[in-house]
Amino acid sequence: MEVKPKSACDSCAHFNAAGLKKLGVNTKAFDHVIALAGNPNTGKSTVFNALTGLRQHTGNWPGKTVTRAEGAFEYNSEKYKLVDLPGTYSLLSTSEDEEVARNFILFGRPTVTVIVVDASRLERNLNLVLQILEITDRAVLCLNLMDEAKRNHIEINTRTLARDLGIPVVPTSARYNEGIPELIQTISEVAKGTIVCKPHRIKNIPKNIEKAVEHLSTEIKKEYPNMPNSRWIAFRLLEGDQHIIELLKSGEFEEYAL
Amino acid sequence: MMQKNIDNIIAQSNDLRWQIGDEFHDNLAEGIYADAAEIVKASVHKPNENNRLRLDAKIDKIITSKTWGFPLMFLILAVVLWLTIVGANYPSSMLADLLLETIHPALKGYASTLGIPWWLDGFLIDGVYLAVAWVIAVMLPPMAIFFPLFTLLEDFGYLPRVAFNLDHLFKLSGAHGKQALTMSMGFGCNAAGVVATRIIDSPRERLIAIITNNFSLCNGRWPTQILIATIFIGAVVPSSFAGIASLGAVIGIAVLGICFMFLVSWALSKTVLKGEVSTFNLELPPYRPPRFWKTLYTSLIDRTLIVLWRAIVFAAPAGAVIWLISNIYVGDVSVAAWLIQSLDGFGFLLGLNGVILVAYIVAIPANEIVIPTILMLTVLVTGVSGGEGAGVMFELDSVNATGDLLRAGGWTLLTAVNLMLFSLLHNPCSTTIYTIYKETKSAKWTVVASILPVILGFVVTFLVAQVWRLLM
Amino acid sequence: MNTYNPLVALVIFFGLSLLAYLLLRPHKGWIWLIKKGSHSNDKIIVEDILKRLYHNENAGKHLNVNDIVRTMRQNDKMVIESIDVMVNQGLIRMEGDVVKLTKLGSEYALRIIRAHRLWERYLAEKTGFSKSEWHELAERKEHELSMDETNRLAYKLGNPQYDPHGDPIPTNTGKMAKLKGVPVSELQVNTIGRIINIKDKPDIIYKQILAENIHIGSIIRVVEKSATRIVFHSEGEAFKLAPILAGNITVSILEKDLSYEEDVSRLNILKKNETAKIIGISKEIRGESRRRLLDLGFVKGAEVSIDLLNPLGEPKAYLIKGTSIALRNNQASKILIKK
Repeated sequence: MEVKPKSACDSCAHFNAAGLKKLGVNTKAFDHVIALAGNPNTGKSTVFNALTGLRQHTGNWPGKTVTRAEGAFEYNSEKYKLVDLPGTYSLLSTSEDEEVARNFILFGRPTVTVIVVDASRLERNLNLVLQILEITDRAVLCLNLMDEAKRNHIEINTRTLARDLGIPVVPTSARYNEGIPELIQTISEVAKGTIVCKPHRIKNIPKNIEKAVEHLSTEIKKEYPNMPNSRWIAFRLLEGDQHIIELLKSGEFEEYAL
Repeated sequence: MMQKNIDNIIAQSNDLRWQIGDEFHDNLAEGIYADAAEIVKASVHKPNENNRLRLDAKIDKIITSKTWGFPLMFLILAVVLWLTIVGANYPSSMLADLLLETIHPALKGYASTLGIPWWLDGFLIDGVYLAVAWVIAVMLPPMAIFFPLFTLLEDFGYLPRVAFNLDHLFKLSGAHGKQALTMSMGFGCNAAGVVATRIIDSPRERLIAIITNNFSLCNGRWPTQILIATIFIGAVVPSSFAGIASLGAVIGIAVLGICFMFLVSWALSKTVLKGEVSTFNLELPPYRPPRFWKTLYTSLIDRTLIVLWRAIVFAAPAGAVIWLISNIYVGDVSVAAWLIQSLDGFGFLLGLNGVILVAYIVAIPANEIVIPTILMLTVLVTGVSGGEGAGVMFELDSVNATGDLLRAGGWTLLTAVNLMLFSLLHNPCSTTIYTIYKETKSAKWTVVASILPVILGFVVTFLVAQVWRLLM
Repeated sequence: MNTYNPLVALVIFFGLSLLAYLLLRPHKGWIWLIKKGSHSNDKIIVEDILKRLYHNENAGKHLNVNDIVRTMRQNDKMVIESIDVMVNQGLIRMEGDVVKLTKLGSEYALRIIRAHRLWERYLAEKTGFSKSEWHELAERKEHELSMDETNRLAYKLGNPQYDPHGDPIPTNTGKMAKLKGVPVSELQVNTIGRIINIKDKPDIIYKQILAENIHIGSIIRVVEKSATRIVFHSEGEAFKLAPILAGNITVSILEKDLSYEEDVSRLNILKKNETAKIIGISKEIRGESRRRLLDLGFVKGAEVSIDLLNPLGEPKAYLIKGTSIALRNNQASKILIKK
């Protein structure tokens, strides 16, 4: 269960350009589902377009993609379906776009979740990243807009970042197609299990809440031993999320927990 | 067994919630940000804390300044609208030439050589084809100009600043600053404006923006306004001022639309929408140079063609209906003539006439075909020579000839003014109605958004007509 | 068209408009009144009497039949009939002239209070109704919610302990946390306390307090006290209140060493080129709005400064965690900062 931090240079050597085929909207038969999440204004749609060869409109606006867009690419003869989730600041609220994003990561069971963040505004973006890492343990951080960060003289140590987050970190400038090959390579390695993630879990919460979460999470684990995100479910229960409560009651979680 | 445990878990979670109290969400959010700060501290090195680009700050200072902010905004809006309306003239007339003057006769000729029965030929070519061609010719060029321009401003990051500058005005009427943008988008096309309300993330303000979008004069209605103003308003002033007077009248109508937008927004937020959740926040993203060609391409595909396609889908049956009502006879009169007769009284009360009301009923799918329909129906009921036959929409090349025809149909200055008002204040076109339903997923709000403007239109034109008749 | 006259048309139009207004106007329109009249008015009277008795008994006061008839804004005969019915049902008993609640009656009263306060909480968290409307809406809703619906509502809201005015909500077993506060009017100079309750009755006084922009959860320090006014400092502002207003605000007294920070102020007061640290978001921001602000990074300890002033005064854009976020003044005034 070792974490293998992934810097850009590790993967460029492996990237097999001949094995890449951008499939556009052709999302029929596929081997892996990749979810694309991220804050608004992080160039998420640009990453989506760079990966799929599509030309989705990328507005300089929060909340542009309200419905999810889908696309596909093929790499080393495996087909990847890419789902572009609505850009959100968080997954804790009840707005429609957050619900779409949350439900897909939780129940859509993507093989890998790619989290696109703005390198110049990492701290704000980590809010969403840390929440997603509570839900899924297969994720890749796409450190986008590196060009802007460089212009602002912001330096980011991707190795420490990958170590602290417990997932591979790939710096990109999707506008100029920089880092996209590395991103594809990393996605495929996480998908195939060559890279195993050990995601960060939220630490700075008051003792009484931590205790409550621990307690509930253990109880949930007793019911569903394979549930990877029992802590997140515990968070949602403490938040009083009716949707999750209904799902638990109806026993539908069993299907997802396999 | 299983179920019991789950109920147990839920019961426990309820007890824990009670113990923890209201603070849970706050604590969690603070905890996540504290973690984030620690992680960032370990791996990010920033030269200084304030990392806003200096260029960004400079641009912002001008754009949101007290002196330059508003003039700049109106200038940009004026330029965009001017480019759209004037720039669209040429491709529009070219398209009209091609689709209406060349292809339509060619199709007719072709049909007659094939020996297609007159009713099929009329239904398909004079009805369906003509309506679709008209919509394309009038709608496509302005949209192909307006949307890319708008999208460029959007991608650059200017539009959020407009929302920022104007928010206070919108707040006074219970709306969101971003409504300034969806409203402007409505000047291009109301359906697109309604889709654009997605950027408003507060439920109450979004509904307000959706319901009031129709008060933005869309590009399907600009030509009607300009034509009627030129014929009737321009004629009452000395000819040297005719241009300015008619332009002023059109701008006046657009501004009146904005006033109605504010008024109705205010009324909605104080009454039916009072209980809807309302939040506010507006992110001002960093400026990013838009990629010109890519933006052009995507806005053409994403906005223009999708909207155009929807419009065509709705216009086609409308064309068929227009042809049918003019050619199906009940007894001695066609359905159209019968409808016009029965609506004439009501039309008179509103300072309009039966022809206009029938035209607006059958032209619900697209405002673009209102004028051709009115002309065709006027010929139909007055028997004045002109036109190309029952159910065949047409437009006259000369503005004077159009004026003569309308006057022969009994039009006065009052009819013209009220038509301009009614063109502003009537139900949204069916594309927009459909879009409203898709966006709100609520039949109730769709009905409100559709009925409200038309009721306003009836009331306003009615009052204007009575007062006019009392005074004149 | 011979009979047509524009003036007649206008008169008919305005006549019809007036009729429609009279018929359909909410709460006072005829259709509304007819609908309301058909509802069981008796139930409402009974429940209102129970509530009144409960509140008075809690305050140590006892009412007689006359008091009740006088304070109820209803037909006197109907009130007296209702009291008879209530005695028969065992909800109240007469001790001489005084009307007292039985155990059954006080349980019933608590259920109504529970429904009322829960509904206020619901309105505060899940809807956009303004503060000044909660009470009146809840006054109507409390008679409509069944026990089952009330419990489900409580469950959905996470079994809250307090309503948005700071009043405790009875549990479904009738337990209720006690308010251990002191009215501001009784505080000595220099006492420090946290506002825990603002009475929403009587309406006139409540609306005056709201207009002063005083919130639950704010920490205050009394600086002046006289027979005519009470002055206290809170969150960087001074408030001067008449004793009658101050008497409707309850605070829990804090120990002196639990340092009251004189330099706490509100985000809307921040000036250009100043930087501040966020201390917290006032409890007045609830539900979705609160979650949004937290998500956007307005959390305890975050640094904030003004990024852009607005040509129209508001909203202002604040630089928080590297991004410029515009907030309206009424939101910013509920974010507490320390310069």
